[in-house]
Amino acid sequence: MQAARPSLDARAWSFWAVTVMIAASLARNPLYTALVLLVTIIVSATNVPVHNNRAILSPLRFALIVIPLSALFNCLTIHLGQHVLFRLPTWIPLLGGPVTAEGLVFGAINGLALTAIFASFAVFNHVTPVRDLVRLTPRAFHEVGVVISIALTFIPQTMRSLERIRQAQAVRGHRMRGLRDWLPIVIPLLVSGLERSMGLAEAMVARGYGAVYEKAQLLRTQALLALGTLALLGGWLLWLFVLLQRGIAMAVMLVGAGIVLGAVWQAGRVVTHTVYKPRQWTAPDTLVVLGCVLTLVILLLPLPLDRNTLYYSPFPSLSWPSFDVFVGLGFLGLLVPAMIGRGGQQPI
Amino acid sequence: MQTRTGKLGEVRVRRLISRAIYMMSGAIGVLAFLYPFFMPTVSPAPLDMAHSQDAPLMTVTLVGLALIALLIELQGQSISAKTVALLGVLIAITSVLRFIETAMPMPGGFSPIFAPIILAGYVFGARFGFLMGAFTLLVSGLVTGGVGPWLPYQMFTAGWAGLTAGWLARGISWLTRSSNGVPSSNSLRLDILVLCLFGFVWGLLYGAIMNIWFWPFAVGPVEQTWSPGTSLGQTLSRYAAFYLITSLAWDMMRAIGNVVLIFLLGAPTLRVLNRFRRRFYFEVNPHAGRSTIT
Repeated sequence: MQAARPSLDARAWSFWAVTVMIAASLARNPLYTALVLLVTIIVSATNVPVHNNRAILSPLRFALIVIPLSALFNCLTIHLGQHVLFRLPTWIPLLGGPVTAEGLVFGAINGLALTAIFASFAVFNHVTPVRDLVRLTPRAFHEVGVVISIALTFIPQTMRSLERIRQAQAVRGHRMRGLRDWLPIVIPLLVSGLERSMGLAEAMVARGYGAVYEKAQLLRTQALLALGTLALLGGWLLWLFVLLQRGIAMAVMLVGAGIVLGAVWQAGRVVTHTVYKPRQWTAPDTLVVLGCVLTLVILLLPLPLDRNTLYYSPFPSLSWPSFDVFVGLGFLGLLVPAMIGRGGQQPI
Repeated sequence: MQTRTGKLGEVRVRRLISRAIYMMSGAIGVLAFLYPFFMPTVSPAPLDMAHSQDAPLMTVTLVGLALIALLIELQGQSISAKTVALLGVLIAITSVLRFIETAMPMPGGFSPIFAPIILAGYVFGARFGFLMGAFTLLVSGLVTGGVGPWLPYQMFTAGWAGLTAGWLARGISWLTRSSNGVPSSNSLRLDILVLCLFGFVWGLLYGAIMNIWFWPFAVGPVEQTWSPGTSLGQTLSRYAAFYLITSLAWDMMRAIGNVVLIFLLGAPTLRVLNRFRRRFYFEVNPHAGRSTIT
């Protein structure tokens, strides 16, 4: 039997997608952004299964919409730059003035960065099955996980119910001509769904749902959550409004993040969590993480590289963006999933 | 007696802490959406270019952490099996609507998922509305491949739509109840009217709020985008220009769509949800002097 199975762990894929997002956000040089996008396309070609029915807007369509729109919006609304393409009458509010090549290029660069972020998450969405994503839910979110599992389980049933109700109404001569004609379909769908939830709730209670552990949150967990959110909020306010204290603000936020994560761990301790056939962390997963770490090191740490090449602005006059080979090589750490990709499919 | 007093004291402390968590995570969420407007004036030194993208990334992280704290606190308050099942099924129904929307694109920003979130929040209360809004976006995101850095923002915003619908219901019921506590006969008509208006406002508000997650990313045009060093007034006028040009027409379709859906389907949906609410929350307390129905 052949079935779709991801070649890499969902955690490794999430780390990869987040690293691409950080890379595309921080590097505002179109050469690096194009490199990130190219890497994402290669990873997609080598890992995304050919037959994937999850409805995602394709990155190509996204790029075809976002890049021209962003370029057009920018060149029509920003009137800076030396290479004037044409002029719009100045009596037009916001749009009136010179339309420049610099504005056009700047908009296209923004669109390119957004496309790279979108493309990486499109790959992530394609290669990680929903059940693997649900399995990533921390133990602390036990009830959230139950709600999500019920919802995901009921979606196919709801779609079947929708089809059955539609057919039954069609047999009775019901025709869909307008929005009002949805009423005889939506209400029976809602009623049948609510009846099912009633039955499900009774079955859950009968099987002892909520009776196996103390449901009320530990006071200590609550206190930790309050302390953590207070530190996050305080640190952020300090970061926003007291510019000279940004180091302290960042430290306070890090402490707050640590406390919130500690509370998550604390809340998860009381929940027994079992997994059917847990997926083992493998060497390829480690390689993907190491590749991402390499990219993050290049981007974030003060290494003796020409980091100024990461930032590019076409204003006031268009110029060719500079490129540092070593920085460029750092981005290739994101290519690891393509090197070890197995077409996103392997027998189970 | 002392144990009973101790228990009461603990309940009060818990309630106090719980409110503090709601307020602080809510404040982080609000600040996440509004921080470009509060950025203080700083000198536009070349150094700032290197860190101009730190703020949006940091905001995504903070929003994620605030959402985690809020969800743990919400689920820590003993969600009953009935609520879990009801929430799961309603989310499934609403996610199917989003699935249809993805398969058959609707005009502009029109989405059929907001009307059910608003109606559910209105009938089942603010907490249920928040969970319904946040989880609908999460589950439908999982199903339709919509997981990305925008998801925590979508969850927060849709959650707020459901949360405020619950508050709206409280306000309306307080206003329309006669002195003997019985709802007036025109209450359903008034509900629909108010909900249409509410749906319209949230149709526009959702777009206006969601723009802000990527707005600071697009360092872009001086007139329309955020950049460190601009004053509150300047930033607001830039954002207004950006919103008018890029989003108003798109969001208007969502706002009108919400009004049409609530107007056409709202009354029968409210009747069904109210009927099931009475069934769901029917409880017999055998320890009370006489059986009580809550």
